[in-house]
Amino acid sequence: MSIATTPRGYLERPRPSGLADVIDVILDKGMVIDVYVRVSLIGIEILTIDARIVIASVDTYLRFAEAVNRMDIASADETPGLPELMESVTSGGAKSKTSGAIEAAKEKLGIGEDEEEEEEKPKASASRRRSSSSRRSSSSGRSSSSRSRSSGSRSKGRG
Amino acid sequence: MSQGRSVYVYGVLAAAQAARVPVAGVADSTVRAVSHSGLAALVSDVDGGPLAAAREMRAHWRVLEEAAGSSATVLPIRFGTVMESEAAVRERLLKPNEERLIGLLRELDGRVQLSLKSRYDEDRLIREVARASPSILALRERVGKLPGDAGYYDRIRLGEVVAGEVGRRKQADANLVLQRLEPFAVAVREETPASPETGFHLAFLVERDRIDDFSAAVGELGKEIGERARLRYLGPLPPYSFADANLTAGSAAWA
Repeated sequence: MSIATTPRGYLERPRPSGLADVIDVILDKGMVIDVYVRVSLIGIEILTIDARIVIASVDTYLRFAEAVNRMDIASADETPGLPELMESVTSGGAKSKTSGAIEAAKEKLGIGEDEEEEEEKPKASASRRRSSSSRRSSSSGRSSSSRSRSSGSRSKGRG
Repeated sequence: MSQGRSVYVYGVLAAAQAARVPVAGVADSTVRAVSHSGLAALVSDVDGGPLAAAREMRAHWRVLEEAAGSSATVLPIRFGTVMESEAAVRERLLKPNEERLIGLLRELDGRVQLSLKSRYDEDRLIREVARASPSILALRERVGKLPGDAGYYDRIRLGEVVAGEVGRRKQADANLVLQRLEPFAVAVREETPASPETGFHLAFLVERDRIDDFSAAVGELGKEIGERARLRYLGPLPPYSFADANLTAGSAAWA
């Protein structure tokens, strides 16, 4: 089975084996058999945290605020100052001990050894940047299923 | 009832559609089918030791992809599910849930999941939002005048307003996408975005013979909103988002 045809345009080339896609599509999806607990998985919490960063958090707000503060809104062209903006967002996102933990665990899992993995590198650095909010969600650890249950179903007639 | 080794369970399909799965399962194991009256569960042996999540998640994905091939319908079981033996798969999964599973397979037959995600350049989005909103600019000015600590709550407030506006723009795109693609789909699920850069994550259940139409519509959307959102289009996939039944591990075997 492969990928639906990709019409030209702005679509990214689909590569379902990218870890981000794999996590998005299969984590907490599919049928559940009650009583049966899952096999113990090394690193599942880390994947979960990485995949389900809490979006609305004080950290995010501060990061957004900082981004707005730094930007040169008046200038019509955004390119000047952009590298600086990125820089400040990155460092403003509060590095923490967690980032080290995530990196280490990723190495242990062999993430990044895979040849399919190039694409994940930007994501890895992004997660480092978000590490302070991930620390927040790490307390909920394995409760990934309950969190993702919020995916609602839509009725067809909507719209 | 015989005691056997623990088995990892991947999914369920019609026995008639269960072909040999030529790829390795979790922990490099061989995948086989356990059958019961027209149904087959795909399983492989596990030793009970812990598995590396990232690697095995890919294995789970590959097994189901191979099993589905170009025409079979496979009901995925949640990643990481292990049962105590092959007999348990038959007695506690397939037997007690037979009707339910057959019903689901019938319902999903000939249909595939197509997923569409959007990703935004967050900085660009923030900039656009800020430029377009006088209230954000005013807040920004006030925050700028305050010394670091004093402006803490104002900064949070500013970020909150920006985040709200960013969210509204993403939602507007999601609504457009839904409006355009729903006509080609049997059902839609709005999944929780996995990261802040993800704008929306939509899973569509589509008839196989409508995949091309759907893809063409996705292409059109790409031209329309591709400037601000990068679309990632995946599929055809087994119906991960639509096989969401809670099955009962029946006690038939022990009764």
